[in-house]
Amino acid sequence: MQKSALDKLLATTPSLWKGRRPNHAQHTLPSGHASLDARLPGGGWPVGAVTELITPHPGLGELSLLLPALAEMGRRGQWLLFVDPPWVPYPAALQAQGLSLERLLLIRTRDESESLWACEQALCNGHGGAVLAWPERIGFTRLRRLQLAARENGKSAFLYRPQEAREQASPAALRLFLETEEDPRGTRVSVLKCRGSHPPPPTRLRLSAFANPAGDTGGHETLSPAASRTLLAGHTPAAPGSGPAHPRAEHEVVGGGGDRVRPGPRTDH
Amino acid sequence: MAVTAFDQGRERIIDCNPAARAGGVRPGMPAPSALAILSGLHLAARDETMEQQALERLASWCYQYSSQVCIPGDRGGLLLEARASRRLFGKPQALAARLERELGQLGYHAQCGSAPTPESAWLAAGEHLHVGSRAALRPQLGMLPLERLQLESSCIEAMTRMGFRRLQDILRLPQRTLTRRFGPGLPDYLARLLGAQPDPLTFYRPPQRFFTRLDLPAAIHSRQALLFPLKRLLGELCGVLRGADCAVQSITITLGHEDREDSVLQPGLQSPTQDAERLLAVVRERLERLRLPQAVREIRLQAPHFLKFRAGQHSLFADAPQDRQGDMEQLAERLQARLGRSAVSGLCGVEDHRPEYSWRRREPGEAAACTPLAHRPAWLLPKPRRCEARDYRILAGPERIESGWWDGRDYRRDYYIARDSHGSLSWIFHEYKPRNGWYLHGFFA
Repeated sequence: MQKSALDKLLATTPSLWKGRRPNHAQHTLPSGHASLDARLPGGGWPVGAVTELITPHPGLGELSLLLPALAEMGRRGQWLLFVDPPWVPYPAALQAQGLSLERLLLIRTRDESESLWACEQALCNGHGGAVLAWPERIGFTRLRRLQLAARENGKSAFLYRPQEAREQASPAALRLFLETEEDPRGTRVSVLKCRGSHPPPPTRLRLSAFANPAGDTGGHETLSPAASRTLLAGHTPAAPGSGPAHPRAEHEVVGGGGDRVRPGPRTDH
Repeated sequence: MAVTAFDQGRERIIDCNPAARAGGVRPGMPAPSALAILSGLHLAARDETMEQQALERLASWCYQYSSQVCIPGDRGGLLLEARASRRLFGKPQALAARLERELGQLGYHAQCGSAPTPESAWLAAGEHLHVGSRAALRPQLGMLPLERLQLESSCIEAMTRMGFRRLQDILRLPQRTLTRRFGPGLPDYLARLLGAQPDPLTFYRPPQRFFTRLDLPAAIHSRQALLFPLKRLLGELCGVLRGADCAVQSITITLGHEDREDSVLQPGLQSPTQDAERLLAVVRERLERLRLPQAVREIRLQAPHFLKFRAGQHSLFADAPQDRQGDMEQLAERLQARLGRSAVSGLCGVEDHRPEYSWRRREPGEAAACTPLAHRPAWLLPKPRRCEARDYRILAGPERIESGWWDGRDYRRDYYIARDSHGSLSWIFHEYKPRNGWYLHGFFA
């Protein structure tokens, strides 16, 4: 009798923590990275929740990490909102990754409080889709409000946070830490917190074809090495570990020969 | 609160609210005696031009329920042809209930009735009666006192002196004697009342614009409190819009102060609308940003340009779990209302090989076409930043971009994909023309 009541409670309350057993009741969207999906509870990005991505530096593949899921949302006709992105999203690059530009809106605000207000509005309006934001400082209460708004409307919120945020408490459903070392296996993604289970061990993801052009690709998602070769067109890039190649020296190899034939794709008008 | 008017040189109460009535004030009472009975009574003089304007606005508003609306002379009411829209709005009783309710929400007190002819409908409205057919006119309206009839007072006086009290008393008399005794006005009126004679009316044509003014009974200091009267005014506007099958994209709200310059709000929308809730959401955002220099005494609402309304396509499964176009438009409007028009934009590609000119912001509704390019960074720095080549380790490149001779911003650059000491995958270039040096232009995020 008591047991069945407990089972019922477990089945109907997704936020109840069930020890080691991962909670699959949570609604998720596959991230498109198999090794990450295998580690996330529910097998993907939580839908209707806040996900924090903590990145010490830009250019670690922090956007590529989300792009397969964002592209899928676009295909479903859902909207993507970028609230105060730090730089300009390059349309040609996003399009190449399958993102639907028609479904992308940029919101520019003047200060941090407006930015958070816009986030909340974006999460409160409509249903489905994702809101991406880059808040410098955000308190626990505000995060909690965003979390509630996201849950209410079945939206996914992705917040990019600086490294300091790593030590702060957060009500977010999922917190990831991205870092890269001189490692041929790509960006290291650690799960700091995930609702519904213990944080799984970190994984490495190759989020760009150039993370390591000469390294092994076994078991990791990546652009095909052929793709990078077409760009390189016969030019051998500096192998990792061969010491810091001097870009100028590199350039001399390529262009200093005096001939007008360029190894790279040429864009003249 | 009571309304006064001058009648034969004396200011008399012509109407009062229930609170005043409970205090002993009655219509017809001279204003000084009313004040003597109830010292806290607030008197307001009747303004007939305002009343007439309000009536015209309501006629426009009623246009959503009937295409034939008439303002009959100086009677202070409206006539609507209801039979043609019977299938749409149901029985006259249902329509009357709806009108009374919705007008009540706009702050008006309406009393409705229906009958087969305009004159009989006028009498029925005074009694909340609904007369279904001409045959039912005599039994249902016969009990009405003669004072209700729309006749000259001398005529009614003459009839009363002869001992007639009710309409049925008159209807029983032979017609020929009526003309002889009371003049041609009475039989003519009765013929129109009973439908024996046609009663041509001039119908009201609503103008394609809207203007209303609301004098606030008490000055409003808080922005929140302004929302209540504004909601009413917007509701009225949207009723008029539905009647005219029109929509507005921008409105002007002027808040009048005692002795300061008026505060003006001009909220604009992404697409034309006739939805009061949507307008109110935008107005609310604009109000929150507004600083009131002084308490507000009056509100003016203007919509000078009506646009043709195109009803949107609604999904049959309206609660399908995804954003609809309308949701996003409303969000964009709310954000723009608070953050400024340029705060919300889309993004689209421009056919230009130079990365800094290969994108632009676009209006949220505009199409976004773009040629995809592989091996371009997701983030583009709006302006290339100077950097040192020795901080980077080149992974791929170069890609030569040389373009722009036609607009004077031509350059020749070699782009490389490189990693800096922090591990950031960056897009850097070596520029030969016009300057010489290394620059950071983006991140492969």
